Amino acid sequence: MRSVFYLLDSAPYGSEKAFGLLNAAAASLGKMEVTVGLYGDAVYLALRGQDSKGLGVPNLAEILYAYGEMRVVAHEPSLADRGLFSEGLVETVELVDEEAFLEAMEGSDCLIPL
Amino acid sequence: MKTLTIILAGGPYISEDAMMAYKIADAALNRYHVNIFLYLDAVHIPRRGQDPAIFANEGELFADLAERGAVIRACSRCAAARGYLAEEDGTSRDYHEGIKISSLYDLPDMISESDGVISLCR
Repeated sequence: MRSVFYLLDSAPYGSEKAFGLLNAAAASLGKMEVTVGLYGDAVYLALRGQDSKGLGVPNLAEILYAYGEMRVVAHEPSLADRGLFSEGLVETVELVDEEAFLEAMEGSDCLIPL
Repeated sequence: MKTLTIILAGGPYISEDAMMAYKIADAALNRYHVNIFLYLDAVHIPRRGQDPAIFANEGELFADLAERGAVIRACSRCAAARGYLAEEDGTSRDYHEGIKISSLYDLPDMISESDGVISLCR
């Protein structure tokens, strides 16, 4: 396997899933071509200006900034459905439509939903 | 021989994932080299001393897979967070024999060396 697509569909805070997925994706960099896909509630991870201090958990946006070489695609219709279309996004996140999201998944050798 | 990697992220009994992984690995061991990576709550699966009463003991099932050649590794960060500590060689007194705690970097190593990957993560 030379490429992996990590798919997240749950909100960034409230469970360990997003943190775990980003850690796994970061560990895969350099070994494989890595894409992180944000779908459904996971698109909240793409929002700029996150502040998780009150939650006592790491700010996950900082992980995105720390690994700028990680390709992160956010499902544009999910953002629109949640009224987030005009919100500022983390600069490293790429907005993609349904077709492009599917292409990114299909183009990877391995799909890991978390 | 081809290599199959199974990734689990859920604990034992809460869903059928661990049992499905066992059955898949059990069948695959006849034809594949099998890796299993235990991530997040799945690090509970190899814990010794489980007594599920009405279910099959999933810790013992995974120990059986390891004895038959499956390489089973648990994420060290996830394991430490849940109180499972590794000895220097990756073994843990809390775990069944043959199952080790290792770096998350083992996950991409397993994936990149695999011909097939099955992710059972909900």
